[in-house]
Amino acid sequence: MSVANGEISREIGDINLAYMLLAQKLVKQDRVAAMFRLGVSSELADMLAGMSLAQILKLAASNFLLCSFRLDEHASMSAVVGEGKDTMLQQAHMSILMSARSLQTRKAAVPA
Amino acid sequence: MTHKSVLGEVREVQLAIQLIQLGARLQFLESEVGLSRERLIRLYKEIKGVSPPKGLLPFSTDWYMTWLANIHSSMFYNMYQFMKIHSDEEKVWILIKSYKLYLQQIAAQDSEPILDFTRAYTMVRFFDSDMLQLSTCCRCSGQFVAHAHDHKSGYVCVLCRPPSRAGKARGAKRGAAGEAAAGIEAMGFGVEAAPGGAGLH
Ligand SMILES: [Zn+2]
Repeated sequence: MSVANGEISREIGDINLAYMLLAQKLVKQDRVAAMFRLGVSSELADMLAGMSLAQILKLAASNFLLCSFRLDEHASMSAVVGEGKDTMLQQAHMSILMSARSLQTRKAAVPA
Repeated sequence: MTHKSVLGEVREVQLAIQLIQLGARLQFLESEVGLSRERLIRLYKEIKGVSPPKGLLPFSTDWYMTWLANIHSSMFYNMYQFMKIHSDEEKVWILIKSYKLYLQQIAAQDSEPILDFTRAYTMVRFFDSDMLQLSTCCRCSGQFVAHAHDHKSGYVCVLCRPPSRAGKARGAKRGAAGEAAAGIEAMGFGVEAAPGGAGLH
């Protein structure tokens, strides 16, 4: 049991590290495009860009996944996957839904 | 032209090169780039190896409503809107950036761009002059390009309600699984028949 738990923690750590490194790479390459792809605010993008490897490693070594599920409504999820769509249409639908999400993230971050 | 700074002119030339590479028409270049028509034509020939095509296609908002064009237009406009909010660059650069992002997205999907640069530009103008709007799909909550002042409530997008032809083509290609999916779609059509086919023309 404990061995299995250790294994899971390690897998989560691996994904966290890969995710953080990719996110940082994207932000450094093209800040606005990265904000679009990751769905993060400009403040968070700047923070990601400025993080040291030591900080990233420390954050990644967690029992919690750092990347959250972005198709987080059943309606959106089933709209994208649940209709036997071909890959191109599925990707297009995803792109449109994620764009809206990214905008919402931004709007929510701005105090009303 | 003489009162312009050298750096300013370099910027204009860079802008023109970017636009020509993306496939912008001459009329568009003339309205966006502060270079003479002669210089623009010379640049165009140098980059493309041919003279710029004459005449602007008579675009109407209807093109953006057809099945695949609507999907691609919606993808692009969502990106453009995001870029407009988050980037403090000039409008034409925002257009270039979002069009490149659209091309990247299309390349990642292994498909062909349907929306050319001039159509993308024209669409932005249609939005600016309130001829097009984004309508929110009541099923997937995605935002899709629609005629302005169209019925806003109960709108179902082209991806949640594909035309029956697209459903059948996929069913035939995909065998049993596809047919099952097509069946579900057919049920959807029956239950939620909206007047006017929800923005499809
Ligand atoms: Zn939809």
